[in-house]
Amino acid sequence: MVRLITHNLLACHVKGCNTNNFPLQFQDVQIELREADFNADFLRGFLPKIEWNALVDAARQLGDTSLPQEQPTMIDDDFLKALHHVLLEIHVEEGAMVCPNCKHVYPIASGIPNMLLAEHEIG
Amino acid sequence: MSISNSVRAVSVSGNPREYEDVHVHAVYDEIASHFSSTRYKPWPIIAEFLSSLPTGWVGLDSGAGNGKYLPLPYDRPGQLWTIGLDRSRNLLRIAQGAGGELREVVWGDVLDVPWRHGAFDYAISIATIHHLSTSARRRDAVKSLLHSISPDHGRALIYVWAVEQDSKSKRVIPSAQPEDQSSTEPQGVDVFVPWVLSDRTAAPEEKRPAGQHEAARSEDELKPKAKVYDRFYHMFAKGELEQLATDAAQAMGLYVGPRDTDSMAMEGMSGVEVCQSGWERSNYYVELRRWRT
Repeated sequence: MVRLITHNLLACHVKGCNTNNFPLQFQDVQIELREADFNADFLRGFLPKIEWNALVDAARQLGDTSLPQEQPTMIDDDFLKALHHVLLEIHVEEGAMVCPNCKHVYPIASGIPNMLLAEHEIG
Repeated sequence: MSISNSVRAVSVSGNPREYEDVHVHAVYDEIASHFSSTRYKPWPIIAEFLSSLPTGWVGLDSGAGNGKYLPLPYDRPGQLWTIGLDRSRNLLRIAQGAGGELREVVWGDVLDVPWRHGAFDYAISIATIHHLSTSARRRDAVKSLLHSISPDHGRALIYVWAVEQDSKSKRVIPSAQPEDQSSTEPQGVDVFVPWVLSDRTAAPEEKRPAGQHEAARSEDELKPKAKVYDRFYHMFAKGELEQLATDAAQAMGLYVGPRDTDSMAMEGMSGVEVCQSGWERSNYYVELRRWRT
């Protein structure tokens, strides 16, 4: 699966592509929504480590506008439920992710992103 | 046991990447489903390690195989997220449903860092880097793990096969033959470890990857004919894994040792501490922790 929790961690790793290589941009995606167990403690622990702007932008690319542009200072249940949905319930099944810098295309098939590179592209 | 079913010493030649494609990656893609059915029990030290991590941590299982560690810890489900990376797409398809839930998996190479550097709180590498065919590549895989985890608090656990096997193990390991006799560093042994896939368990398609050959017929002609897949392993000698981790950390310019909070000289330093290392049932392991002052 490529859920946004994973997308928030992935970056382009083509040789020499070291700046503006995150976040990868979704292209021609098919998504599925699937319920996942809500775990508020996990979300509170993970929240400080999220690249917030990347998450909000990626969610909007996938048609979800429930997250505020700025990370709120008050963490309530409604916010955690929205965060839970965005991070863990939107599955990108098919499509691709494109590096904003070098335009390398990482395909996604059956929910598995292909992050392998050809030998000459490896740093 | 026929000779083709025994562990035997090999010498690696040619391009190591191509060598591993034939003797590791193609094999796992072929045996994925049978292999997975035999790999379900977590090793105790790995289960303990994952149980010890704080809620909200996100980790990388580099060489996740069938994803058996992705659902852990069993006592606190959903309090950690481990993302699985592997070279075998067929194993990843199994890992996607590990433990009866949907898991996050990525098709990638353990030598690469397809992540924001330092994005993970922890990483595990279980029975994986022993499939890399040169010492330099094994060191690079450890470097990739260290790059993936937080420079402030990242923790990593690495497991590899040991030359010293459990007394209960039926495997006979050829003795280490160090190529470089003058070397003072511990050296393991390069071997092929066969995986026997009987016709009953074989995948329906008759595609035959390089590196595969038919097993010698057993005395019992009625027994289904088996296919034997030779998997490359570097079996580690005592002390070799700690040395590899130290070399990797030093190659990254990291201090190797515990963080010394009293010392002013440590201001602005970045390091790696070896928290524990040892042998558990035919495997060597090492746990590392990154720190920064």
